[in-house]
Amino acid sequence: MLGDSTSSYIVGAFEHPTRRADGVSTARLHAEVAQGALADCGLSLDDVDGYFCGSDAPGHGPLLIAEYIGLRNLKYIDSTETGGSSYLLHVEHAVQAIAQGRCNVALITMADRPIAGNAGHSIAGVDFSASPDLPFMPPVPFAPVYGYAMVAKRHMHEFGTTSEQLAWVKVAASHHAQHNENARLRQVVDVEDVLNSPMVADPLHRLDCCVVTDGGGAIVIARKEIAESLNRPRVRVAGTGSALHHNNGGWFDPLTSAGVASGRTAFEEAGVTPRDIRYASIYDSFTITVLIQLEDLGFCDKGTGGRFVADGNLISGVGRMPINTDGGGLCNNHPGNKGGMTKLLEAVRQCRGEAHPEVQVKNHDWVLAHGTGGIMPGAHAAGTVILAAG
Amino acid sequence: METSFSHLDGLEQFWDGATEGKLTLRKCDDCDKLYFYPRQLCPMCGSASTQWVVTSGRGSVYAHSIVRRSRRLAATAIIELEEGPRIPTALVNCDVHQVQIGDTVEVSFQQKKDALPSLAFTTTAAQEARAYSETAQTSSTSIPGIEPGDHTADYTQAAVIGAGRMGAGISTALLLADIPVILIDQDPDALNGAREGIISLLEVSVSKGKLTEQQASQCLANLNTDTQMQAISGADLVIEAVYEQMGLKKTIFAEMDKFAPKGATLATNTSTLDIDEIAAVTDRPGSVIGLHFFSPAHVMKLLEVVRGRETKGETIARAMKLGTRIRKVPVLVGVCYGFVGNRLLLAREKQAGKLLLEGALPDQVDRVLREFGLPMGTFELQDMAGGIELDYRSRQESGEKDFVIDELFAKGRLGQKTGKGYYSYEANSRKPRLDNEAISVFEAASAHYGIQRREISDQEIQDRLILLMVNEAAKLIEEGIVVRPSDIDVVWQFGYGWPNWKGGPVYWADRFGLSEIHARLSRLELACGDEFTPAALLSRLAVEGGTLGSATPGNST
Ligand SMILES: NC(=O)c1ccc[n+]([C@@H]2O[C@H](COP(=O)([O-])OP(=O)(O)OC[C@H]3O[C@@H](n4cnc5c(N)ncnc54)[C@H](O)[C@@H]3O)[C@@H](O)[C@H]2O)c1
Repeated sequence: MLGDSTSSYIVGAFEHPTRRADGVSTARLHAEVAQGALADCGLSLDDVDGYFCGSDAPGHGPLLIAEYIGLRNLKYIDSTETGGSSYLLHVEHAVQAIAQGRCNVALITMADRPIAGNAGHSIAGVDFSASPDLPFMPPVPFAPVYGYAMVAKRHMHEFGTTSEQLAWVKVAASHHAQHNENARLRQVVDVEDVLNSPMVADPLHRLDCCVVTDGGGAIVIARKEIAESLNRPRVRVAGTGSALHHNNGGWFDPLTSAGVASGRTAFEEAGVTPRDIRYASIYDSFTITVLIQLEDLGFCDKGTGGRFVADGNLISGVGRMPINTDGGGLCNNHPGNKGGMTKLLEAVRQCRGEAHPEVQVKNHDWVLAHGTGGIMPGAHAAGTVILAAG
Repeated sequence: METSFSHLDGLEQFWDGATEGKLTLRKCDDCDKLYFYPRQLCPMCGSASTQWVVTSGRGSVYAHSIVRRSRRLAATAIIELEEGPRIPTALVNCDVHQVQIGDTVEVSFQQKKDALPSLAFTTTAAQEARAYSETAQTSSTSIPGIEPGDHTADYTQAAVIGAGRMGAGISTALLLADIPVILIDQDPDALNGAREGIISLLEVSVSKGKLTEQQASQCLANLNTDTQMQAISGADLVIEAVYEQMGLKKTIFAEMDKFAPKGATLATNTSTLDIDEIAAVTDRPGSVIGLHFFSPAHVMKLLEVVRGRETKGETIARAMKLGTRIRKVPVLVGVCYGFVGNRLLLAREKQAGKLLLEGALPDQVDRVLREFGLPMGTFELQDMAGGIELDYRSRQESGEKDFVIDELFAKGRLGQKTGKGYYSYEANSRKPRLDNEAISVFEAASAHYGIQRREISDQEIQDRLILLMVNEAAKLIEEGIVVRPSDIDVVWQFGYGWPNWKGGPVYWADRFGLSEIHARLSRLELACGDEFTPAALLSRLAVEGGTLGSATPGNST
């Protein structure tokens, strides 16, 4: 039963309601999100024959967690790890595996608990101690926020982008999060609130940064025939793309991400352009991350992101380009310091027309989810997924 | 376990260069481009045909962000090398708060013991300031009219009067330079305490490998203690470090004059008292000098050598030579309240106290000073050094009042040693935290003096503290207290941690611009009072041009 790579459907989606998982193991979170997503579409563990996870899955890749979750009929496994964008790449790979007839029902799980596990900003399961860059690292802590802070600083320098414009990204997220009862931060904030929050890494303030949460989510992707047999709104995976950026020997542009290439591939495959997209989930580890990706995906020109995100343009019902209507990583959820899964989940809700009525976009024929894993500038991988309703 | 050298990975050339401070990269023969990281295969085309190239190590700041959670003042940065490639790295040992995109930088590998050097950069401005600082320090030991020469006699036997904190520290510094010491105190308990203190300092040095067991026991063999002043009869150097009271010092100096052999130098460690007045009680004012050590005296590098009106050139030459021998940085200064270092410090502390009354809180003031580049803020420094108690005690004779300090003192808030002062400290922590009790003291003080508290900008705080110090420095130059302007910078670097990448108050002021400083001081004079009245020298230079650094001391017009 072969199909083309645009005839797979996201049939199940589930976001764990927890934001702080005291006394619950990471393995159990994976099992719970798996069950949640299968229940959402009415499939069972026995139907799953493809399994995808990142390094947050405890144990050795998929080896131990598959048993824990109760997956017995696996024919296809993948444990691609690219940081926060891993799950967008999993969608790409699942769709290809289904198209090649390697599996029929693919399950992707993501869950971690940095808060309860007291792990802070680390990415669980990833060992950076033998990184080839390590001997050349500076004698000071080089947390991811500094990379994004430098991108923001340079963007401001070259294009006149302002802290106020960046703050609008957070303001938009907070407007959406007020309607999400599970959101970590539900209070609506304004530009002043963001600018008055403590400086974390100049020019990024605390409110320019995403939340740190426990939790996770899962996605079930199925072949067309199976999707059609299920009683859920159809969400077709119309296009996918992924790309890797590294320092290229020092000859790189810190203001441009791998999203240019991943986006181009996905748009080409889906046969649409950014103008056709009425809702986008855009990875929002920091406010500047959103701005760069919107430019790179072609929602606006390079350098104009500041003006594009300002004045409520990202707020559903207010602006022209609503994004992250669940509150995003900036306000709702950024489980395990990896926001790719939650980006997919809200994109699926929007595409189904099942987002919160206050934030549901009217025309949801085409939606997009996009993520960046790793650190900008420097080594990172982008994944883009374009979904079509019906 | 593998050592970090396992990362050599064919990169010996890179690390050899790094050890010499050079940035060596690979160049791909096929792409004809230099690349970073210096991997074996070209990351752009995979070619194995590459050569090593020593780069200029220079570049400019493409972007940067200050690292806030590090004890070390640093910024992450992307540096664009002159040769083109961009390197994600850090800026260290420079004024990161002032760095701008485009500033020029140079490579500055941080050498580490038993490990590969860390790649980092520093600014060209910081390198220039360091070069200035080195010259300033070297020149500070040469005194016009006084030939430092081999004929200047070394001291062979020292006596230290007063076995308190300073006496013990000074004795240790002397002993470590193989100078025998007789430590004298009227109080036998103080002598025992000092001896124990010296023993434990020596033990620490031994355990750190800085001293051999044998050297330590030689030091101890060179230490004698006594309760009688007669014991100084064999000393050619006597250093007084008793309580800071003029009457007492005069009595002690009269005795020193009586018992010390002819030709012996009589020195005082006073911080604030008039050395000429002390010298006047002796029959040898030419041999009286100030040796102003800083606490802890065996650690702090700075030694202010205070020249009295009558002090002979030979006494100065011997004292300066001693300073170098005991591995201090000796700086010759003249008599005035606070000499050079404390004069600027006290002016700053007093002004900081006013800022508290007007509405600032200690953490804002301290942050501004740290962001300016100083290692510590003024209030955390006072909490560490016991400044509240010192200030309180110094006013008890005159009966002068200070609401904030008197209240803090009354509440047992003496600084770190009582767990609270301007800030409070958790057990075993030196991290200052603001607490409500202290804040209510500051607010009550404002009410007491009828001052309306207001929000004070960081810029105003910086101007009122730093420009005041610059103004005081200008006065020191015009009063001829220093031999040369750069000596003020040497004092502030070695006594108070002014970073060498920022030169010192004089160097900083000249780069900031004297006419701007003059204008700001004049505005502050109108707004805050005559402590900001610009020094005559500053007023002249602001009009005529010229720098503080090249001004001739003792000459304001
Ligand atoms: N503490 C500092 O940070 C510091 C720094 C620089 C200079 N100083 C100056 O050093 C001097 C001593 O300061 P300290 O902090 O060591 O004081 P301290 O109170 O710790 O020690 C003073 C010692 O002098 C002894 N003493 C008093 N009267 C004496 C007498 N008549 N004969 C013999 N011994 C007598 C006391 O018993 C005591 O041990 C002061 O002039 C002070 O201004 C102090």
